[in-house]
Amino acid sequence: MLGKGLKRKLEQEEENERKKMDPHQEVMPTFYCLQRQTVLTLSLSKLHSQPAHSDPGLVRRVLITNTLRHIQEELRVEAVLLPQSLATDIKDSFTSALAEIEDLCPAVEITSSLTNSHKFRQTEPVHESMESNMDSALFQFTPSLLDSAQSLFNHCPSLLADFSLDDFLFTEIDNLLFDNTPCSSSPSPSSGSSKVISMTFKSDLNELDHIMEVLVGS
Amino acid sequence: MEEESDFRKINNSFLRDHNYATEADIISTVEFNSTGELLATGDKGGRVVVFQREQESKNQPHRRGEYNVYSTFQSHEPEFDYLKSLEIEEKINKIRWLPQQNAAYFLLSTNDKTVKLWKISERDKRPEGYNLKDEDGRIRDPGTITTLRVPVLQPMDLMVEATPRRVFSNAHTYHINSISVNSDYETFMSTDDLRINLWNLEITNRSFNIVDIKPTNMEELTEVITAAEFHPHQCNTFVYSSSKGSIRLCDMRASALCDNHSKFFEEPEDPSNRSFFSEIISSISDVKFSHSGRYLMTRDYLTVKVWDLNMESKPLETYQVHDYLRSKLCSLYENDCIFDKFECVWNGSDSVIMTGSYNNFFRMFDRNTKRDVTLEASRENSKPRAILKPRKVCVGGKRRKDEISVDSLDFSKKILHTAWHPYENIIAVAATNNLYIFQDKIN
Repeated sequence: MLGKGLKRKLEQEEENERKKMDPHQEVMPTFYCLQRQTVLTLSLSKLHSQPAHSDPGLVRRVLITNTLRHIQEELRVEAVLLPQSLATDIKDSFTSALAEIEDLCPAVEITSSLTNSHKFRQTEPVHESMESNMDSALFQFTPSLLDSAQSLFNHCPSLLADFSLDDFLFTEIDNLLFDNTPCSSSPSPSSGSSKVISMTFKSDLNELDHIMEVLVGS
Repeated sequence: MEEESDFRKINNSFLRDHNYATEADIISTVEFNSTGELLATGDKGGRVVVFQREQESKNQPHRRGEYNVYSTFQSHEPEFDYLKSLEIEEKINKIRWLPQQNAAYFLLSTNDKTVKLWKISERDKRPEGYNLKDEDGRIRDPGTITTLRVPVLQPMDLMVEATPRRVFSNAHTYHINSISVNSDYETFMSTDDLRINLWNLEITNRSFNIVDIKPTNMEELTEVITAAEFHPHQCNTFVYSSSKGSIRLCDMRASALCDNHSKFFEEPEDPSNRSFFSEIISSISDVKFSHSGRYLMTRDYLTVKVWDLNMESKPLETYQVHDYLRSKLCSLYENDCIFDKFECVWNGSDSVIMTGSYNNFFRMFDRNTKRDVTLEASRENSKPRAILKPRKVCVGGKRRKDEISVDSLDFSKKILHTAWHPYENIIAVAATNNLYIFQDKIN
């Protein structure tokens, strides 16, 4: 059977009966979470790696996005209803999905550069002035994503309260796109390499825009 | 034992006729014309190949009307959209024949953006004896002409020429997935992911938008149109299917813009089968009216359903095409096979339906006897004129001889496009770049 061999053992678990998600159930079946994790990762990577030369099909994109939305909705419900200890499992699933995406997609490596705390402090004044220029609709907060953001970037907890996950992704994009504005007078050290990536990032911008819109809760 | 003989009854009737290997490319559409005399295929390279059935000859009664290549032409070329910096593929998505009204044949072929009307005509005579040109076509010096003559038609070798008569372009922002000729023979519709446009066959610079499901904010888009077709007899009625598994029937007399449906067909979801992929596998890849116009057939990833136009709440019949894939959906999502768009067809009397699967298998369901059969279109497994053997997929446990286990299926060999002759038991099956034509055995 054709397949890339991602988490092959999951196939056996697929054959087992799948329990329905019960929001009041405290202990979630692990294989369900595992499969959800896989589907989340797959969906994100599919949306991110559309072929650039020809128009990607709208049908496929809509179906993948709807699948992502469904998973995000489940995560959101779980985060609200479950005790904090289990909520960390949920945010871990999201962060590990993102980590896998970073491995798969070089364009997203930029976000991993933001985990570096000193770099973050450098771009912080840039971001604050940029924020007012961004569409406020992009910055909607959900508790689960805030938590995931925190676990990703636990170097600077004090600053994180005001940020959602979008911010980190879009901060770097802003740096690339608004090269000449006075706000970016302190360029980040990664700007050399990021200029090369900026071309792919510009073309991916709409895609990322769309993903984050979906994930953050439009 | 009894089951086996029943299988034989269905599949014994099919002889393999010829294996036509098209020259390069993957076949992307197959369509018989309204008399079954012609069979058209479109491929990924933008070419159309038309086959014509031989006249039955008394000398060789056992060679009943085989199909031979009649015409080949390049319908669409690759294009480039400079505004979006994107290639427009030349792949032929659909071909639909117009009903024959004179000696020439007409068909509509479409790629993602442009629909073209092609005229296919025969020329077996040519005029000879021009006054101003000589036989080679060179212009004669008027000074040398001393007498006048009337050109005479002389027989010549049969030539089949295809000429583009109309080009219907610039009406679709999204990819065209369907075209359908209206029973009034004057109009046709073209459908993309979000809109349906109505055209007059004579007019190329204007089309009417009859369905538009594009939301003001594209972020809110959750459903797209996947296929559409006109009713075979009622020229005001058409249906379109969606990625959420619903079908809407619209009446053009109700309003100019048919965003509001007359009927809405959807089966409530089975909660015991719910998974992350429920929506994806419910997306309808093809919708076809029966020849009678009383029924609708829809194909989603795992099933084919027959709907009664008078019953919107659930389908009349549901047939499992390859339910053994249900436990493999995650892998099929990973390798993108879950997005494959299978088509489905009715036979001439609406008693049997057919659709494709993987491993070059295709399935037929007899609606009356409720029997079904799995057949394979591949050179290795059948010799010309041999009788097709039914195939079986083994789901678990012991695999019997001649059965194939689910894990051995070749998912790169998919049969997406099939066609059934309008009157006879002749089927055309496209297996990647090969076309198979199967025919009833003569008694």
